[in-house]
Amino acid sequence: MAHVVLKDLVKTYGSFKAVNDVSLTVNDGEFVALVGPSGCGKTTTLNLVAGLIPITSGDIVIGDRVVNDLDPKDRDIAMVFQNYALYPQKSVYKNLAFPLQMRKLPRDEIDKKVKEAARVLDMTHLLERKPRELSGGQQQRVALGRALVRDPAVFLMDEPLSNLDAKLRVQMRSEIKRFHQDLKATIIYVTHDQLEAVTMADKMAVMNGGYLQQYDSPARVFAHPVNMFVASFIGSPAMSLIPLEASTANGNSVLTGAEGWSFELSPRNAQKVARATTKKVVLGARHSTIKLRKSAVPGAIPAKAYTVEPTGDVTFVQAFLSGAIVNVSVPPNIAVAPDEQIWLEFDQERMHLFDGQTEMALKAN
Amino acid sequence: MSTTAKTAPRGLSRRRMRVDGWRWAGRIFLVFMLLYTAVPMIWMLITSIKSGFAAMQFPPQWWPDEPTLASYEKLLDPQNSVGQDFLRFFWNSLFVSTVTTILSVIVAVPAAYAFSRFSFPGRNFLFFAVLLRNMFPAVIFLVPLFILMRLLGLMNTHGSLILTYLTFGLPLAIWLLKGFYDNIPVQLEQAARIDGATRFQAFILIVMPLSAPGIIATAIYSFIGAWNEYIYAYTFLTKNDQLTLPVGIQRFFSENTTDFPGLMAASLMMSVPVVVLFLVLQRYFVRALTEGAVKH
Repeated sequence: MAHVVLKDLVKTYGSFKAVNDVSLTVNDGEFVALVGPSGCGKTTTLNLVAGLIPITSGDIVIGDRVVNDLDPKDRDIAMVFQNYALYPQKSVYKNLAFPLQMRKLPRDEIDKKVKEAARVLDMTHLLERKPRELSGGQQQRVALGRALVRDPAVFLMDEPLSNLDAKLRVQMRSEIKRFHQDLKATIIYVTHDQLEAVTMADKMAVMNGGYLQQYDSPARVFAHPVNMFVASFIGSPAMSLIPLEASTANGNSVLTGAEGWSFELSPRNAQKVARATTKKVVLGARHSTIKLRKSAVPGAIPAKAYTVEPTGDVTFVQAFLSGAIVNVSVPPNIAVAPDEQIWLEFDQERMHLFDGQTEMALKAN
Repeated sequence: MSTTAKTAPRGLSRRRMRVDGWRWAGRIFLVFMLLYTAVPMIWMLITSIKSGFAAMQFPPQWWPDEPTLASYEKLLDPQNSVGQDFLRFFWNSLFVSTVTTILSVIVAVPAAYAFSRFSFPGRNFLFFAVLLRNMFPAVIFLVPLFILMRLLGLMNTHGSLILTYLTFGLPLAIWLLKGFYDNIPVQLEQAARIDGATRFQAFILIVMPLSAPGIIATAIYSFIGAWNEYIYAYTFLTKNDQLTLPVGIQRFFSENTTDFPGLMAASLMMSVPVVVLFLVLQRYFVRALTEGAVKH
């Protein structure tokens, strides 16, 4: 196993910058998820690490080697593809044996390793089958087996679960996580599904528009998003982002909504707002940090319930404030009807404030 | 089909009858097509085993009174001058067609792969330029190519024919194969390269076997095209010992106008390799032509 370092990685196609100055370090044995919407550059980044496409500038270090100009085969990596990329003309056994044959291992050693991998992944009975005779989940396992049979320095996974149905995906998710825990493998995992990233990864790198937005543990990314993009991308349902106007009244910092309501900020939040480059401030609040009241209480903001979505465990209520959708979760025993008058109370301790101009999170100091 | 028909409710029977009607029309059409193509072949076979006199009789003998293999014996006998000619023509045709086939596979496979996988300046232009030749009737190029071959000093060589057949066969071969490569996910090669293969090994070990049906179809196409070609062979070759079968048989026809059994035997033997090739490999051919029609 080995660590991976990306330094100022750039990939351009003509004038289009697919990957922009991405720098990050994946420590030995770490599970890192590259996450972002489609077209954000995460798969390109992974292909650069794999060596499948040449880098424009920057450095890639795997273990202690700079691998910029090495062929994929010389980088000591294994990759699991979204469509599994199993060799259709080869049996499962031969699929698993292929990477070992290419490395010219003796026949009996290949046989031993293939059978060991098959045993670990519980597919000994499938060895003679062709990939097309397997279910999606089984194909996925073979792809995983082909990666681990070789004991590479780094595992690269490109959306390995997105072709599976929902139930199998959850199952394979825990299998891959278990696989990581058992092997202490270094894994770089690309996904567009923030839930996969949050549940599996030690660290997540959130990308957008070819730029690395934030690189931190899922808990910290969730609790301290650096900007509005990360705030809205991580977490489901998405964080509500409400554009407001900052002003001062009687020496106190106040935020005012488009409907005319306003509330006074705590000293700490006032400090944050004071650092904004503009009067426009965006309030970010996760559904669980907003309290829904059925009657007016001091500090609560009046709104009308727009839609009500019971999910069993919780009920999500949507309302409009300042032209933005606000998501609130309430226990299922609280009945809210659409168009009912409600009051929303924001938690000053847990709210996020963003600069309306730069979209960056505002910090107290 | 049959089980659904049995359990189908009454209301569907009307529609089924209409479908059956079309199916029968199709079958009758196919029978006519079969007669149209098979009868001349059968007549060729019957005539080839007649004696020279019986072949000229009218009304014709539907089945020869005295079937004989004399014509075949004569054509395949290296001691006989007719046999010498025929065997030489046969060998010439085989040589030209085989070399054409091998070269066209050698050129078309990498060309199609490059068109499918790499993006390079002028890719689309080149790809359509490849087809340009096929937009004109072959005869148009007869004189220019004749002049070109003379300039190259290739007149009266099999090389002139091989070059010409390549220019005719390659465009379709490249298009056919590109369709194949487009359908092979690029991730397979990427996986192979990560698994330890060089780019070339990934192509040879993973992509080539998957495109085998396309390569076989391409090969059949080139072979048949070269085997049957007449006009260029007639124009470029004048020496008797270099002629290919189509021209050789035509010459045979004008020299021995009355020897119909011999002519038919020669024609039949010329058709056999093509028919056999096609029958043995036709499933690849069909697959190659329909590949890319549906997404897998």
